[in-house]
Amino acid sequence: MPSSTATQPSSPKSSEPGRRPAVELRGVSKRFYFYDHRTSSLREWFIRRILRRPIHVRRASFSLRDLDLRVDPGEAVALVGRNGSGKSTVLRLVAGIYRPTAGTISTSGRITAVIELGAGFHPELTGAENIRLYAAVLGLSRRELHGRWDEIVEFADMEDFLDTPLKYYSSGMEARLAFSVAVCLQPDILLLDEVLAVGDAAFRLRCLERLRTYHARGGTLLLVSHELEQLRELCTRGVWLRDGGVVLDAGIDEVLAAYRVEHPPERSA
Amino acid sequence: MMSAASARAADVWRYRELLRGLVVRNLKVKYQRSLLGFVWTLVNPLLTVTILVVVFSHVVRIQVPAYWAFLLSGYFAWNFMLQTLTTGTWVFAEHSRLTRSVAFPSEILVFSAAGSRLIEFIAEILFTVAALVLLHHHGVPASYVLIPVLILLQAVMAIGLTLPVATLSVFYHDVYHALPIALASLFYLSPVFYPASMVPEAYRALYFLNPIAGLLTLYHDVVYSGQWPSTLLLAGTAAQAALCYVLGHAVFNRYAAVFPEVV
Repeated sequence: MPSSTATQPSSPKSSEPGRRPAVELRGVSKRFYFYDHRTSSLREWFIRRILRRPIHVRRASFSLRDLDLRVDPGEAVALVGRNGSGKSTVLRLVAGIYRPTAGTISTSGRITAVIELGAGFHPELTGAENIRLYAAVLGLSRRELHGRWDEIVEFADMEDFLDTPLKYYSSGMEARLAFSVAVCLQPDILLLDEVLAVGDAAFRLRCLERLRTYHARGGTLLLVSHELEQLRELCTRGVWLRDGGVVLDAGIDEVLAAYRVEHPPERSA
Repeated sequence: MMSAASARAADVWRYRELLRGLVVRNLKVKYQRSLLGFVWTLVNPLLTVTILVVVFSHVVRIQVPAYWAFLLSGYFAWNFMLQTLTTGTWVFAEHSRLTRSVAFPSEILVFSAAGSRLIEFIAEILFTVAALVLLHHHGVPASYVLIPVLILLQAVMAIGLTLPVATLSVFYHDVYHALPIALASLFYLSPVFYPASMVPEAYRALYFLNPIAGLLTLYHDVVYSGQWPSTLLLAGTAAQAALCYVLGHAVFNRYAAVFPEVV
């Protein structure tokens, strides 16, 4: 079980005295347990405990080790790294989905995390009903949704389909619907986990534009993506993660250039 | 401990829109594309009630005047507990994607399972009240004023029983196998089709350790007999419901933080 809890208010530090960071991870480690055989039945527990026969090996794996990361309000930061480097884990920790094994995480402001697009979507409900549900999943109150409704519908550009059950949508349409809800939110901190590769070129352009506006208005962005070009356009700073630690934390161009050297585009995971 | 509990309560309140959305979703999806729609919520249990009335009035003869009224008074409450436990146990597995990718107080999933069932129950109890007022009491007994209290008790009790069972089911799939058997046994060990007064005196205290026994007997007293229940029974069942909830929620809290990683 985790030994420390997340989300305690931290005192402002170092570079910007008096200014509270939007996101701060200090000495954060995250350990996951992997079982070769999940102990999912009493039978296995019985064999393991009473008969003392090893039935599986429990391996622990550190997804993050002693990570420090600080994001100031208004920054747009890209997290890059190979699959398994810990990028999604960082987002989930910041969002409060995971608890750290060690270290502290503090955030200030309202966070919306889009980790899996359309989590909570139900195929039997219509597009409009799913928008309502998804907005609730992302933490929008009814009043806020009412105010944003036209904006969302306009952005999705699918007005004719809103009364059709979601199961008749193509997967691209579904993703566009989800993204339209997510992108019309106005949280203080927006976390996006590999959701930029959605829709056709025109839609992607609109998404980028919307995110740029969000950032320009002072929002904080923390992005994970493999679409390196999009990251360059949106972010000012990049953090390169490898094996649960920070390899490089610098301006986006520098980080992307260094990352590309290690992972040429054809082979990037 | 109190501040942790109130922090969680505040969290649930913040996500009340999600709770509402899930309850609405559950009901919409359940009755979509069905001609009778919401009416099925009554038809199903009424069919069971009819069969039980026939069997226990004419085959295994339970000596209770107006047996149909007796059975009706408690059956829907039993059905509520049964359904909430059955669907509620699955919620975490069913919503694994949501749990893994959104930070929200996951007890909301159990609340929503209970919530949508509760709305169906209210339709059912209104039907019961109407039927008994018209055909059994020929008037509205004063005790009916207690019905909202009973509904509250049953909701608290159901959630309190479902939370730990659902939590356990995340780690031990045996729960899915054991649950139907446990519920079938509970059907016989609770005063669903017979009054608790038929239980021998010597065993009654033991019998009432089952919180559902107290709940159903309260319904029998209030709705079927039209009487004010004994204070002991009311207070005792309320205490049982509260205890179930506190313990059940504690079990849930102990493991809920790990759900996003294992579910």
